[in-house]
Amino acid sequence: MRVRIVLGVVLAAALLLGVGALAGRPSGGPPAAAPAAPDRPQATSRLAVTIAAHQERLRTVPGDWTAWAALGEAYLEQARATADPAYYPKAEGALRRSLEVRPDGNAAALAGLGALANARHDFAAAKTLAEQALAVNAWSDTAYGVLADAETQLGHPGAATAAVQRMLDLRPGLASYTRGSYDLEQHGRRTEAVALMRLALAGATEPADVAFCHQHLGSLAWAAGDLATAGRHVTLGLAADPAAVGLWQLKAKLDTAAGDLTAALADLDRVVARTPTVDALLDQARLLQVAGRDPGPSLELARAAHRLFTANGGTDDLGAAALALAAGDAATAARLAVAEWDRRQFGEVADMVAWTLLAAGDPAAALPFARHANALGQVDATLAYHYGMVAHAAGDRGTARLQLRLALALNPKFSPVDAPIAARTLATLES
Amino acid sequence: MRRVLLLLCTVAAGVLLWPGAAQAHPLGNFSVNQLGALALHPDRVAVAYVADLAELPTLQSQPSCTAVAAAFHVTVDGRAVGWTVDREVFTYSDGAAGLRTSRLECDLSGPADLSAEATVDVANDFAADRIGWRELTATADGVHLVDPPLPASSRSDGLRSYPDDLLSSPPSVRSATLRVAPGGSTTGAAAPPSSSALPGVLPASVLPGWAGRAELTLRGWVAQRELTPWVGLLAVGLALALGAAHAALPGHGKTVMAAYLAGRQGRPRDALTVGATVTLTHTGGVLLLGLLLTTAAGLAGETVLGWLGVTSGVLVAAIGVSMLLSRRAAGHDHTHGGGEHPYDHSPDHSHDHSDSHDHSHGHGSRDHGHGAGRPSRLAVVGMGIAGGLVPSPSALVVLLGAVALGRTWFGVLLVLAYGFGMAATLTAAGLLLIKVRDRWPARLRLSARLTRLAPTGTAALVLLVGSALAVRSLITL
Repeated sequence: MRVRIVLGVVLAAALLLGVGALAGRPSGGPPAAAPAAPDRPQATSRLAVTIAAHQERLRTVPGDWTAWAALGEAYLEQARATADPAYYPKAEGALRRSLEVRPDGNAAALAGLGALANARHDFAAAKTLAEQALAVNAWSDTAYGVLADAETQLGHPGAATAAVQRMLDLRPGLASYTRGSYDLEQHGRRTEAVALMRLALAGATEPADVAFCHQHLGSLAWAAGDLATAGRHVTLGLAADPAAVGLWQLKAKLDTAAGDLTAALADLDRVVARTPTVDALLDQARLLQVAGRDPGPSLELARAAHRLFTANGGTDDLGAAALALAAGDAATAARLAVAEWDRRQFGEVADMVAWTLLAAGDPAAALPFARHANALGQVDATLAYHYGMVAHAAGDRGTARLQLRLALALNPKFSPVDAPIAARTLATLES
Repeated sequence: MRRVLLLLCTVAAGVLLWPGAAQAHPLGNFSVNQLGALALHPDRVAVAYVADLAELPTLQSQPSCTAVAAAFHVTVDGRAVGWTVDREVFTYSDGAAGLRTSRLECDLSGPADLSAEATVDVANDFAADRIGWRELTATADGVHLVDPPLPASSRSDGLRSYPDDLLSSPPSVRSATLRVAPGGSTTGAAAPPSSSALPGVLPASVLPGWAGRAELTLRGWVAQRELTPWVGLLAVGLALALGAAHAALPGHGKTVMAAYLAGRQGRPRDALTVGATVTLTHTGGVLLLGLLLTTAAGLAGETVLGWLGVTSGVLVAAIGVSMLLSRRAAGHDHTHGGGEHPYDHSPDHSHDHSDSHDHSHGHGSRDHGHGAGRPSRLAVVGMGIAGGLVPSPSALVVLLGAVALGRTWFGVLLVLAYGFGMAATLTAAGLLLIKVRDRWPARLRLSARLTRLAPTGTAALVLLVGSALAVRSLITL
């Protein structure tokens, strides 16, 4: 009798516990508790799903340093894809946490912090971090990517090409194809750059990635004056991701070239309403001037944006030089551009130094910089126009004629202001 | 024109507005951050809207409540609510780099008929292109929100302090669909899973010490996004333990029940009956109370618990009274019949009790005819009801938490486990007392006089404890 009771109690307990286990079965589970997470962004993309998965994992296993590093990288990717800077401090926090949990042999966190330093324009620090990561793991493709970006910006094209090649060997994919394409473009190998970027596009699945590839392809077409192809890429890219600001900026150039200033200004309004960057605001100010409207508010906003960047500890004398030039203060612009040149001998910086020195009335000093900016052989209408104008002022008529002809042959509508000047100067040179 | 570095251009865009330094806007200098706090009433919808603009948007434009009202769409069963701006406040405060940030507050309201069942669609399309923190919250007053997909309160304290949690992304809630039912009580349920869904019920842990921690653990498991069989099993086990612990707390008339069973010739079967009744009563009580609290308006959980305590006490006292009355009748019997009390029999019987259950059973059925000495079925069941009537608040909280998460059946199962746990404690206490009673008189040979007085004493004790329970519960009301 007693045995029977004990047996009954045991059976009842087993049944109850069994039903509990059954209730916890994932498939038979309740409707996936949406109210539990009302504040998370909807997981529409693979990236959002990845971020959510890492967050979930780290809530239960806070000591998983690889997950922390992966989450930091995903946040960086999200910041890039959405242009939302709120993700940068999160990325830094996650990467530092990963390094805290595992200070030694943590290549992933070091590479992530390197990417962050690149984003902050601290290219020297980025290079150091990438090298540290490679010392730990010589097969880290992401570290090579960080190194390639840093070397490019520091003006070491040879080292940059080597890093990109290593990255391509280690992991052919979207990230290495786009970098390879950019490196080829810098060396004037346009056809190969386009081919590699097409390869990247073929492998892109995320809307933001697809838009990114179309933006590159569109820019390559624009630089060569192929406006029809550029326009096609803009349309395709915006169809994939209507929020891609880079594509709207490119569309504004195309609309300007087509003579539709109203549409171009509307495009830039969209960009500036979402991400009021110095670059976009300067574009807007220039276009407003062409349209005969007051560029003052845009310039003021651009100055504020730059002031905020500096107040937050960033250094960007290149942006400051562009601002000073737009404000008509050529001497200050030249001084700032030279200061940036002292930090890094990159082609883009050389171009800015040459152009500001010309504006400041010193074409003789500008000429070597213009030559350096074109040394790698990059084919770009604006670059050629700058070189031609500097050479013209410095008295090198042969180079001036060649470069101005090149600029107009590449893209006769490369700028509503500069293209007519180029044509006039060329006419006086040839007469 | 300078050539922008393609690879870094978007990254650099972000960096220009780097939210690094102390005084910079925590979400970046681009951001327009918004909160729409909806309050649903039977006759209207109100929105307390806040926008927090970082430095650059502040320079770019000054938003107005009229613009917000035009872009904040709320429809009730497809009909758009027309807004009236009740209050508009626009303020500046100091930001980074000598610039200013700004804050716009708008109180909007519009008429809407929510007295019957309705679907409310909310969409905030203001500054839709802008990057930023976007929150929507919903509360109800006088109506009921059915499984609201929105939280009741803001995560950022009304856009004043943004949590810098590494493991959550900034919210981007732009739209929601709410279901409204009449009746209402919730000021917005489905709050964070860790806290109670209802304001009336104690929100934090209701138990002290380890039991409190165990209860929080259990609620954590219930709220887990994906249940696993292992978690389900552990949850039931924990619920059993918590139920047992709840019954071990004072206030369930355990002493009374034990005394009753000991005083009247209670058998192990009676103890089991009490256990079963406790489980049934407790489970039913918690479920009923849970139903009441989720549907009825303005019902405070603590008040209901208090009244149940009073009822339980009164029930125990009533049993005490009936025991006294039957004792008087039995006492009368006793003088006439003489020696009817089992303890007046030979020691064999007691010996039988302690030795084998079968014998004790036989003894019971043999004695059944005597009547007065045995506890009546009704009284035993009453005892069980009194024991199970005061629901474990922790079971209630767990149930409501599960309901709020749409896991009603899991919640019911856990409540059942609570009931079983309580029954186990109470039955064990009863069995122990019966055992002790059976052993002691045989060994100690209490004087016949004392033994004869004992049932009267227990009846008085039952009455006393019952009254005390009722009075104690009344005081807390």
